[in-house]
Order: sequence, then C-alpha cells, then structure tokens
Amino acid sequence: MSIVEIWPTVTAAPGVAIEELTIAYGGLPAVANVSLELKPGTITGLVGESGSGKSTLALSLLGAVTKPGKVTRGKVVIDGIGDVTKLGAEELRRVRGSKIGYVFQAAQNSLNPLKTVGKQLLDLGKAHGVKDLREAHPLLERMGLNADRVLKSYQHELSGGMRQRVGIMFALVLNAHVLVLDEPTTALDMITQANILQIVRDIQRDRHLTTLIVTHDVGVVAEVAQRIAVMYGGRIVEQGDARRVIAEPKHPYTRALINAIPRLTGDVDAAKPLPGTPPTLGTIPLAGCVFRERCPLRMEICDTVEPVAVGGVACHAVNKGDTP
Amino acid sequence: MIEGRGITKTFGKSVKALRGVDFAIPRGGAVSFIGESGCGKTTLGRILAGLESYDGGQLLRDGKTLKGGEFRRIQLIHQDPYSALNPTRTVESTLRDPLRLRAKQTGRGEAWISSRVEQLLSLVGLNPGYVLERYPHQLSGGMRQRVVVARALTVDPEVLVADEAVSMIDVSLRLGILGLLRSLRETLGVSVLFITHDVATARYVGVEGELYVIYRGAVVERGPVETVLTDPVHPYTQCLLSAIPVLHGLEKPGPDRLVPSEPLDERTDPPGCLFAPRCPFANPVCVEQPPPLGRLGHTPQDHACLFPASRHVVAVPLG
Repeated sequence: MSIVEIWPTVTAAPGVAIEELTIAYGGLPAVANVSLELKPGTITGLVGESGSGKSTLALSLLGAVTKPGKVTRGKVVIDGIGDVTKLGAEELRRVRGSKIGYVFQAAQNSLNPLKTVGKQLLDLGKAHGVKDLREAHPLLERMGLNADRVLKSYQHELSGGMRQRVGIMFALVLNAHVLVLDEPTTALDMITQANILQIVRDIQRDRHLTTLIVTHDVGVVAEVAQRIAVMYGGRIVEQGDARRVIAEPKHPYTRALINAIPRLTGDVDAAKPLPGTPPTLGTIPLAGCVFRERCPLRMEICDTVEPVAVGGVACHAVNKGDTP
Repeated sequence: MIEGRGITKTFGKSVKALRGVDFAIPRGGAVSFIGESGCGKTTLGRILAGLESYDGGQLLRDGKTLKGGEFRRIQLIHQDPYSALNPTRTVESTLRDPLRLRAKQTGRGEAWISSRVEQLLSLVGLNPGYVLERYPHQLSGGMRQRVVVARALTVDPEVLVADEAVSMIDVSLRLGILGLLRSLRETLGVSVLFITHDVATARYVGVEGELYVIYRGAVVERGPVETVLTDPVHPYTQCLLSAIPVLHGLEKPGPDRLVPSEPLDERTDPPGCLFAPRCPFANPVCVEQPPPLGRLGHTPQDHACLFPASRHVVAVPLG
C-alpha cells in the first residue's frame, strides 16, 4: 500500500506542530529548541533578520534541511503526514508538493528558463503520478492571470509578480493544504507586493490552507497574518496574535524592531534605530540570552541562563515583571 | 544647486526611460524619487552620477552646465554594498587611495590621510580601531554600507545619490543608515538624492525635502514630502501609497485607500495620460489629452493629472 492511499483526504486545513526543534550546522544551532504551532486554517508570519534561522525553520517543514545541517532534536508534526523529520527520502518526495506547498525565496528565479510553465507543470504531475492538472487553470485565473498564455510562456516572458503567482500555482496545484511562502514579496514592487498579499489572503481562505509566511518585513505580516512569531539568533523570542504583538510588543527585540520601522504619518523621529548588529551563526552566544548584547533590559542572569518562553515571550526581564 | 532640465533618455529605438524630467537638488537638501521598477528613477540617478549618457536636456550646477570633472562631486551609493567594495582590500586601503589623490592635489601628506580616514569612519558611525584592518566580508551589511558612504565622502561630494541604499540591509540596521544619510545633510551640507520604492524611508531621509513621483519616465507629482504623502492628488501616487502595508494593530487603512492594479503591458504609449489605462478614475478625456505637470486645481504641489482630487490613502495611526 502506498502512503498516498493511507492518508485520508484532507477536508479541513491541517495543523502543524513544531516541537522543541533544534537544527544544527556542524554543531552550531541555527534553530534552537523552537516550538511553534501553526493552527489549522490560519496564516502565521515568521519574522526575522538574515541569519535568524527563519528560512532553516521553514525548510524543516519540507524535511529539506540539507547537509551539513541536521535536525538534532525535536519534531515537526503535520496532521495527516506525521513527523516530517522521521520520513525517508521517498516519502518526503511524495509529500513535497502534494501535501506541503512551498514557494521559495526568489520564486521568480526558481523556474526553469528552458521550459515553458506548462511543461514544468507536466513534469510536476509526472513526478507525483498525477495526470489531472486542470486545477492549474482556475488557480492562475484566480490570481488574475491569463492561464493559457502563462502556461505557454517561458519565465523570461513573465513579470516578477507573474512568476511569483506561478510559484504559488505550483505549490498548490496538487492540492497541498500546508503552504510555506519564503520571502514571497522581497524583490517585488510595492504595488505588486500588495496584490500578491491579497492573493495569499484570498487563497488561504478559499482553499482551507494552513500558511506560514517567512519574511523580514513586519508590514507584510501585519497585512496578512493572524499569528506572528519573531525569530532572533535561532530562537523564537516572541509569538502570539499578530495584531496584539504589533500593538503591544513585549520582548525588547520585537519592541525595538517595530520601533525601527519608519512610518508615513506622525512624528518622523518616532522611529528609533536599534543599536548593534544581529548575530550570525558563528557569533550566536552559546549560553544565556541571544539578544543580550543589544538589549536595554539586560540583567546578570541573561549572561548565563537562556530565558524560557512564558506567555509566548522569552525574556527574563519581561517575565520577571509578569510574575512578581 | 544641481539641476536637471528636460532630461530625456531612450534605450534602443523605442524604450523611453525618461521623457523630459526637470528636477532641482538644493545644497544640503533632499530629493526623493519614488516609483515602480522600470519607471526611470535609477536611470535618472545614474545619469546624474555620470554613469549613463542622456539624449536630451541639460544638467546644471549653480546654473552652469555640469562638466566632466564635476561629476565626481556627485557620488552614487547603490543597493548592494558587498558588490560595491573590493573584496581583496581592507577598509583602510579602500579609503586611503582616493584620499591619496586628494592629498596630492592639495599638497598634504600621509599624516593628513590617516587622520582623514579616521575622521570619515567616525563620521559614518564606525569604530576605526575595529574596521580599519578588516575586509568587507568580515563586516555586517550595515557596516559595509557605512564604508561605502565613507568612501564616497573622501572626494567631498556635493550630492549623494542613494539608490535603494537600504533594501539589502537588515531591518534592524536600516534606520541607522537612513539616519546617517540624514545627519550628513546637517553636518556636512551634503544633498541627498534618495531613490527608492519604499516611501516611508524616503520620508525619513528626506525630512523637509521634496518627493518626486515618477511614472514611465515622467514626473507625475512633485512637492514637499509631507504634502504629497498626506494630500496626494495624482491617482498614481494614491495607488502607490495605498500599496504600503498597514501595520494592523497600530494603524488602520486610510479612508480612501485604493486597490491598485499592477503594471500592464507598457510597450505602447497612449496618446493622452500614460497612467490612464491603469487609472481607477480615468475618463475619456484622459485617454486623448496628455496632462501637463502643473498646479491645475490650485493644488499646493505640482501634478500631472487633468482631474486632481485629494484622497487620504495613507494608513492612519490608531488611538
């Protein structure tokens, strides 16, 4: 019996539970002890700067952490699939695309320049033993494209926004219900970005998806996500309801990050820069809080003891205040 | 004051990158060009920096035609500091060479060069003791961009042209670079031409400056930053501003926020307004008659729309 047959057909959006996940590159943890739940049918925004581990964490949903990276601890459990970290190569190949759709960073460059979109679609179908790919049509049309024209096009004939839509179509055409978008709008113009975000919102609702959107831009999360998780130095330092966290960030990093966004109205000097530099894999402190070097609330305990998340916030200073 | 008058540029036979753009950058002032990719804003910056030729119009410095050597006074800071720096050179060597030339011209010695290197690094917010001996790959993106700025300052420029200068910099470090550009206006009297599609950063750098909104090689709206942001009258500006993400939780969408449509096939030029085919408010006249840049309707800013209407599209802070 093939695994495809034993999986029940998904009628509701699946949940995803990442539990105490650690992913290390040569002994250095890029993702350390991360727990994150993606509630069924929601959009979660994963925010972080370069080197925060956000893309590594997102790849773990596909079981695609590549050597020398290695999952050293923890689980990634997706409803209807099980623990992705335990799947073998063939099982992974089958779930990728069919159960988990992934739109890669710079999806506009991840298309094959030598094949038309339609040909690449047939390749995808062949790889998964699916002959009926008619779904591609309504998907592309839903995103405001002329499906016939796009399927006949090579990538160089499409604009950045069109390629990004094609990436989303590839991610969803086999009826995946977990969608991961890695920096989906980074290289795009504002207007194209606004349109892509609208598509993400619409498609998530129409197709009962559980979506993770990875970005460095808090604005993108604010526009589409119900939940937010903020990563820094391989840790999730704060997570919670997106609007609440953006309105009242608790972790000093989240606070500083939101405070550093220049705004279009109000006092232009309300935005304040964040001192210091984010750590890279080699400079993440091995003990204590990863943010302490840049933290205005730094205490003695921060040098030695890594803070545990209480109420979604991993900060000694904040949590001390909460529990007197 | 650096001015451009009627600058035109056509790539190949028919790609009109610039269709007669006028601009003026006062000393110590800030001018921001915003618009979508392909609108010509980068081409304009490159022409100003002497990196690109132009087909028509004039570039003037204090009223006189800008000459070859004077282009050095206009320095470009581009998007990717990593590719702008020589990876085989330390920060010290990167800064010393242009300064050595300067020292030769002015008859100063090595001691002046050394003190100038330290002075410039401190000015851009770097610790000379830390960065002097380092290579670009040993620095963060933010530090690299500061080195690029320091290098530009070695020639005592009048204008810094910053083309998407923070788009590849980590979010937490961006504001620092933007603040640096702003402070250089105040401390050195350097003017900044800021080219971006991120309007909020343009506002931050360009305090009390002017905002130019460029569409398909032509300025469609131009005025003081705050006026254009709070009271835009051209539908293209309004679409652009509507597309900026709203920080739900802290802000609510502007009451007149539009749903902007994406660029169309732009190979053909309609006889009238270039934006008419995408404009949510276009009427038959717009398709026929090209709108001049002016103050039709007695608006405080220049615009190129036959039917200017103020709309509040920018997000409104809550509470």
